[in-house]
Amino acid sequence: MQKSAVKRLPFLGFGLGLRTSHYQSVLAELPANIDWFEILSENYLVAGGKPLYYLDAIREHYPMIMHGVSMSIGGSDPLNWDYLTQLKQLADRVQPAWFSDHLCWTGLDGSNIHDLLPLPYTEEAIAHVANRVRQVQDFMERPMLIENVSSYLTYKDSAMTEWEFLTGIAEHGDCHILLDINNIYVSAFNHEFDPHEYLHYIPVDRVGQFHLAGHTNCGDYIIDSHDHPVIDPVWELYAEAVRRFGPVSIMIERDDHIPPLNELLPELDRARSIAQPILKEVAA
Amino acid sequence: MNRIASLQSQFQRAILTLDDEFDDKILATKRVSAKRRIGIYADAYRLRLIECLRDSYSALNTMLGDDQFDRLCRSYIDTHTPHHYSVRWYGQTLAAYVVGTAPYCEHPYLAELATFEWKLMEAFDARDAAPVTIEDMAAIPPDQWPNLTFALHPSLQRLQLAWNVAAMRSATDEDRDPPAPQRGDRLVPWIIWRTQRRQFYRSLSADEARMLDQARSGANFATLCEGLCQSIGEADVALHAAGLLKQWITDGLIIRIVK
Ligand SMILES: [Fe+2]
Repeated sequence: MQKSAVKRLPFLGFGLGLRTSHYQSVLAELPANIDWFEILSENYLVAGGKPLYYLDAIREHYPMIMHGVSMSIGGSDPLNWDYLTQLKQLADRVQPAWFSDHLCWTGLDGSNIHDLLPLPYTEEAIAHVANRVRQVQDFMERPMLIENVSSYLTYKDSAMTEWEFLTGIAEHGDCHILLDINNIYVSAFNHEFDPHEYLHYIPVDRVGQFHLAGHTNCGDYIIDSHDHPVIDPVWELYAEAVRRFGPVSIMIERDDHIPPLNELLPELDRARSIAQPILKEVAA
Repeated sequence: MNRIASLQSQFQRAILTLDDEFDDKILATKRVSAKRRIGIYADAYRLRLIECLRDSYSALNTMLGDDQFDRLCRSYIDTHTPHHYSVRWYGQTLAAYVVGTAPYCEHPYLAELATFEWKLMEAFDARDAAPVTIEDMAAIPPDQWPNLTFALHPSLQRLQLAWNVAAMRSATDEDRDPPAPQRGDRLVPWIIWRTQRRQFYRSLSADEARMLDQARSGANFATLCEGLCQSIGEADVALHAAGLLKQWITDGLIIRIVK
């Protein structure tokens, strides 16, 4: 596999996903322990109104990263240039240090299933996705990150591990990786693999951001529901990731049962208190 | 079709139609069969869209109750695959579906409520525009008034309601018990609009509705006054029209006065 030299992305610190229910408390309190916000790009691809008002108002105080769900970078339909054009206009407004979407496909024949559907892990799929990543990244003129998704099934076609697949696309597509620590944990459970093996395969300099989130354990499988606090084994995996990848921007995702902002901040403080001693130790 | 596209096509069909032709492309684990693994995606697809429809149609959900709303959503989902990149648009044709589908069409207030709630969605994220002020209006010399035309806020939605659907929605928004459906004796004109951060709706008198509709279609102030003459004595018309205009400006409905 051809490996190109890669520049590490800047460390933005400890962030949160920006959610509608927190708009007013963010502006009223301007919490100093939130270093940056990740926005869900699709929520702001609108003509006007409250979403864009708060986006601009909060952007004045915090750096922002754009995170999307509808690019379908692994899809078989042609890239949606109308969508990408709007995404680029939003990037001009938000000026994110990078943008991200998921290593998945979201629909075929113009449909949008609004889900992050997994891809078969094959050389053919690596070539297909990497080619599309290059096109998107060239068009957007900003670094692109692809995120590992939680998945609930395995194709018989798959010929390699998920971590080989993810790495292959990042290297052939020359993009960065948004490593979702919870998704590694979830998929490790669902597919019975070792999450540590996953972490230790991913090339260090490709990783530009981490996600942390909670999930729902259904007994036989785990669903990546983002509706609970982060669990202890995921915090442990996070600590291991910080040790391996060093200073990587991290944010906590909460998409359902969203508590008031001040109840999420202790989770962010926990991420900070786990990472800081390790980063100090690694630097020394 | 290449191998990836053909897998995706089978997977999508399995999600949409719940057929089992895709099962033999998927590995089972010790704990979960291939069929159940695909089912996780098929269930999640429906639940996500139901949640989206619940967000867009909160009062319709309240009026139908959770079970019946869920049944409505599932039958809508079975016949409507989303296409837009934003899930926000998914409910766009729900009112039309309700009009044409039993048993919902037997309760005409349901379609009207759905239409009302969708117009709220349209107003919510329509284009921004700064409204003019009373001072802007006052600064215009009297001799220019007859020729003035008015541009209205891009979020403005106009509708005619026979039922008390607005009260159903405001009760839902405020967590109160909604009123029973009640049909008025005639259609009442309503508007929905928003300023930068707040959303509003209110009913209009017949006069105000006529004048607003004319203003939207570009009629000048003299024509708006003529329209009012049908119901108001000629002597009072200009004053009455100016009063309504002032109200619209206070409401944030006028974004430009063109001389
Ligand atoms: Fe994530």
